[in-house]
Amino acid sequence: MDFRFDIITDYMPFFLQGLKVTLGVSLAGVLAGLVLGLFIALGKMSTNRWVRLPFNIYINIFRGTPLLVQLLIIHFGIVPLFMSPSNPVISLVIGLSLNAAAYIAEIFRAGIQSIDKGQMEAARSLGMTRVQAMKLVILPQAFKRVIPPLGNEFIVLLKESSLGSVLAAPELMYWGRAAAGQYIRVWEPYLTVALIYLVLTLSLTYLMNYVERRLSTDDKR
Amino acid sequence: MISVKNLKKSFGDNEVLKDISLDVSPQEVVVVIGPSGSGKSTFIRCLNMLETIDSGHVIIDGKDLTDKKTNINEVRTDVGMVFQHFNLFPHKTILENITLAPINVRGVKKAEAEEKARVLLAKVGLAEKASAYPDSLSGGQKQRVAIARALAMEPKVMLFDEPTSALDPEMVGEVLEVMKQLAKDGMTMIVVTHEMGFAREVGDRVIFMDNGYVVEQNEPKALFDAPQHERTKAFLSKVL
Repeated sequence: MDFRFDIITDYMPFFLQGLKVTLGVSLAGVLAGLVLGLFIALGKMSTNRWVRLPFNIYINIFRGTPLLVQLLIIHFGIVPLFMSPSNPVISLVIGLSLNAAAYIAEIFRAGIQSIDKGQMEAARSLGMTRVQAMKLVILPQAFKRVIPPLGNEFIVLLKESSLGSVLAAPELMYWGRAAAGQYIRVWEPYLTVALIYLVLTLSLTYLMNYVERRLSTDDKR
Repeated sequence: MISVKNLKKSFGDNEVLKDISLDVSPQEVVVVIGPSGSGKSTFIRCLNMLETIDSGHVIIDGKDLTDKKTNINEVRTDVGMVFQHFNLFPHKTILENITLAPINVRGVKKAEAEEKARVLLAKVGLAEKASAYPDSLSGGQKQRVAIARALAMEPKVMLFDEPTSALDPEMVGEVLEVMKQLAKDGMTMIVVTHEMGFAREVGDRVIFMDNGYVVEQNEPKALFDAPQHERTKAFLSKVL
């Protein structure tokens, strides 16, 4: 089998461009997902079942249906209501954020509920409100525990951003498919794209391990 | 100071507190004893609403906790609580553990709160541990910090829920010593404990609870030496 490196060099500028979009979209998805996820987690832990209900429904819908379906509905159904023509990168960011938020919410909830209930009792017995106790006592401890599962979620999100190629969002996978289509070749573009994703996820793994270690030594625990 | 009237509390079908009434005067040290499952921990937890109250009234310093208009957070600032398992905040230093609530709840300035915390730490004999983290402390040290943390809010009453039950035997003494000093300083205290020596020596009044009732209460000497009820006698014969 001849391996045509010239295809890779030809397309490298596009791959790099796609890489930037992939990184940007993933970062935006992670950040929005974190904020939204924390909000949903707190909502789902409300003592009022009617407050809990919409958050439960949200999580069930976004975890229970394929991201690809969600992206298609968002891009061709929902975003066009607000902008025309709809921008695939924006649709991708929205879809990834909403989807990640559901998973991140469950990660946060598990982290918060893993904190000994004596912590909340001690905080409340000192006169703190529920919100103060959450902010000052529970969340800082929970945050450290959710780093490993959050790392997993970030990796999943980075890889799933490749579904953006279906919407023609010019991210990494999109350019891989473009190269494959132009040259009618499989190995060169897809292996290159896979390799770039692998480098990204491995870097992310090391980064998360580093953060985890830093946080655990900070507290001398 | 504290007035409990016809307090009742159930967990599901299990009625844990069946009509408890009790008055505690300022500066009084009341020790609650009884077999496990008698409801004594639930009782003391009702006094700052860590457990909801099904019926009856708990009035602390003139404020009825069961009244919906009462701000429970405000009442709690006046009621210090010490737990069996310390419940120190592991992500904060000892000093931060003590200053956290005064700064954020009382609005005390940081420098002032820290100065006060150091005084309290010296009082419980742990001045040198200010910048340590809880996990580096022994059980007895943790519990003394927990007492200092509660005192930092300048409470009018201190509640102790089996403060020495989770400690190794050799550390019980150091915690009881701090509590004795506190009683001597005139703090109003309610103490749930199995330390009969402490009850006898420090208590102004001992309350024997069993099966959700206050069975008997008296001065320590009278209760320990001449219990009136069969159940009190049976319990004391096992623990003394």
